[in-house]
Amino acid sequence: MAEPAPAPKPPPRPVSIAFDVMGADHGPAEIVRGAVALTLGNDEIHAVLVGDRAAIDEALSQVRYNAERVAVHHAPTFVAMDEKPSAALDAKPDASVMVAARLVRDGEADALVSAGNTGAGVLACAKHFGLIPGVRRAALATVYPTAATHGQKNDPFSLILDVGATVDASADDLVAFAVMGAAYARIISKNLDPTVALLSNGTESSKGPPRVVEANAKLGLLSGMRFIGNVEGVDIPKGTADVIVCDGFVGNVCLKMLEGVSETVMELAKYAYKEKLLWRAGLAMLSGGIERIKEVTDWEQYGGAPILGFDRLFIKAHGRSKARAITNAGKVAAKAVANDLARAIQDALPKVG
Amino acid sequence: MSPKVEAPTRIYRWDLDKTYLKTDFDTLRQLVRTAMQKAEDKKAVPGAAALIRELRADGRSRLCIVSGSPTQMRAVLAEKLKLDGVEFDELVLKDNLKNLVRGRFKALRGQVGYKLPVLLESRARAPADSEEVLFGDDAEADAFIYSLYADMVSRRVDEKVVRQVLEAAEVYPDDIDRVLTRWASIPAADPVRRIFINLDRLSPPASFAKYGPRVVPIFNYFQAALVLMGDKHLTAPQVVRVMVEMVQTAGYNLLTFSNSLQDLLRRGLPVTEVTQALLEALSGPQAMVQLVRPVPDIITAFTKRVAALGAAPPPPAAREVDYLGLLDDARPRNHKARRRPE
Repeated sequence: MAEPAPAPKPPPRPVSIAFDVMGADHGPAEIVRGAVALTLGNDEIHAVLVGDRAAIDEALSQVRYNAERVAVHHAPTFVAMDEKPSAALDAKPDASVMVAARLVRDGEADALVSAGNTGAGVLACAKHFGLIPGVRRAALATVYPTAATHGQKNDPFSLILDVGATVDASADDLVAFAVMGAAYARIISKNLDPTVALLSNGTESSKGPPRVVEANAKLGLLSGMRFIGNVEGVDIPKGTADVIVCDGFVGNVCLKMLEGVSETVMELAKYAYKEKLLWRAGLAMLSGGIERIKEVTDWEQYGGAPILGFDRLFIKAHGRSKARAITNAGKVAAKAVANDLARAIQDALPKVG
Repeated sequence: MSPKVEAPTRIYRWDLDKTYLKTDFDTLRQLVRTAMQKAEDKKAVPGAAALIRELRADGRSRLCIVSGSPTQMRAVLAEKLKLDGVEFDELVLKDNLKNLVRGRFKALRGQVGYKLPVLLESRARAPADSEEVLFGDDAEADAFIYSLYADMVSRRVDEKVVRQVLEAAEVYPDDIDRVLTRWASIPAADPVRRIFINLDRLSPPASFAKYGPRVVPIFNYFQAALVLMGDKHLTAPQVVRVMVEMVQTAGYNLLTFSNSLQDLLRRGLPVTEVTQALLEALSGPQAMVQLVRPVPDIITAFTKRVAALGAAPPPPAAREVDYLGLLDDARPRNHKARRRPE
C-alpha cells in the first residue's frame, strides 16, 4: 500500500518589524528605504513604519514598495540623538521609539529596529518589555570582525556582549549574558555549538575581579555550553571564541578602542598612499586584500546590535545607518523572531541554577 | 407614479497582461513561455476575476477588453476568461502579424497608436450616457493613454495637443488621421469615472499624481473594490467575495488587507465611510466571511490601521494633465528617447 503523502508544510508565519523611523543621522528617508526594501525581498516580512506620517509619506513617494506589507503608525514626536534619554522620554511619551515599543509589547509587531538614540531605545524597551525569567539585566551585543571564521556560515566575526547596557554586571549577570550570546550565535550565525569565553586580564580562571572569577566557576559547571574559559583583549580580533562575555563598561571601552585602532590604520594607509610612490605601489598591489578587509569590516552588512534579555527583541542599528544597514537589521530581527530567540534563551537559562 | 429612471450603462474596460493576467514577458524566454501557455496554465491577478464577476452582476454593465496580446492568442485568452467565469462583450487584440507584413515596425511596440483608436471606436458604439471605469497597469503607457482618452472624449484636451502627442509617440500618419476622425464623430461627454492602475512593477503611487485623482494606482483588487464600493459600483458583500477569492487563491490575510486599506487612506482616497459600511456588513450573519478570518479580528485590524494614521489626510487635488510634459510616458519603456529613471 502506498504511503500517504506528507502533509504540506504550513506557510511561514508573517513577521512584523516595527521600525522607529525618526532620530537617525540620515533622516527618515533612509530608514523607510531600508525597511521597504526588506519587505520587497521577503514575502513574509511586514514593516510597521513608526514616526511622523508626513515624513514617512514623503519618503514612500520616492521608492518602490508593496503597500500590502507596509503599515504606517503616526508618532508626533521623537527623541533626538543629543537628548538625555530619560528626561526626553518623560517629556515625550508619544515619541516614535516609545510608540514602536508599545506596538511590539501589544503584539502589533514582533520586534523593534531603531537607529535613533540608543539610551532612549533601551529605556523604551525597559518600560514596555519584560525581562526573560532568569535574566536580571539586559545586554547590548555586537559583532566584531575577526581573523578566524565562525559557525556553519563561516562568519568572519564574533559576538561581544555586553557593550554598554549594563555597566556594573554581577557574576550571575555575566552567566546570563553567556547563555544569551550562545543562543543568539546558534540562531543568527547558525553556529550550533558556539565557544563562549569570559573577557579578563589573563587566561587563568583565577584572573580578574571577583565577579569574573565567580562567573568563570559557574560557567565551568554549566551544562549545554561550550565554555572555553577566559580570554584576553588580544583574543577579540583573533576570534579565539565565538562569543565573548564582559560587563558593559569593559565591553564599551574595548569596542571603542578596537574601532579607534581600525580607523587609525585606515588613516595611516591614506598617509602612506600620499607620502611615497613606492608605498603607493605597495598599497595598489595589496588593493584586493584591502577590499576584502573592508568587506569583512563593513558594519552595514551586520545590521545592528541586539539588546538581549527582554522578552521582545530590539535591534539597535547604528545611528549612521543607511538603507542597506537597516534592511540587514530587519533581516536579523526577522530571523531571531522566526526562530523564537527569547524562547531559546529562556530554555537555556534554567540550567544556570 | 413617476417612471423609474434607469441608471446609465457602465462599461468596464480592461487590459489583460499584468492587469487581469499575471504575465511575465520582460525577457524573450518569458515572452515565448507566455505565448505557448495553455488557458489552464495562465494565472489571473488575485481578485481580478471575482471583481469583474461582481461588477457584471447587475446584468447591464459591459466588459470591453483591449489587450496588446497578438490576435493569434484569442482562443487561449477567451478560454481562460471562460474558465474564470468572466463573460466579455468585446475582446480586441493586436494584429501584429499585419503590422509586420506591412513593415510597420514602430507599431509593434507602440501602445498609443494601437489602444487609443480602439478605445475611441468602442466609445462610438457605446450609449451616449454610459459611464466608464478603466483598468490598466504600470508596465507601459496605460495611465497616459486612458487619461488622454478620457480627456479627448470630454474635450478637455485640444486637437493640437493630441496631434503633438501622437507624433511624439511615433504613431503612423494614417493612424493619427484615424484617431482624429473617430474622435470628431464621438459626442462630447465625461464618462470616465476612474482609471485603476495595477502596480505590477510596484511603481510608487505618487508617480501617478501628475494624472490627477481620476487615476488610482492600486496594489491589489481589494483596493479597487473598496474604491468602487465608495463609488456605488459594488456593495459590501460583493467586496467580501473579492476578498474571499484573494484569500483562497493567493493567501491574502488580515495583515495584507488591513495594510492595503491603510494605504488608500494615506493617499487621501475617501474610503473611511466605506470601511465603516464594510465592517458593519461583516458583523452581520455572513458565514462566508469566516473564510477570511473571524469577523472581530477583521474589525479590530481595520480599525487599528485607520486609527494609526491620526488625522485624515486631504483628498488629492484635481489637476489638469500636462500631456506634452508627460510624453515620455507615451513611449515604449525601452524607447531610446525616453528618459531613464534616476
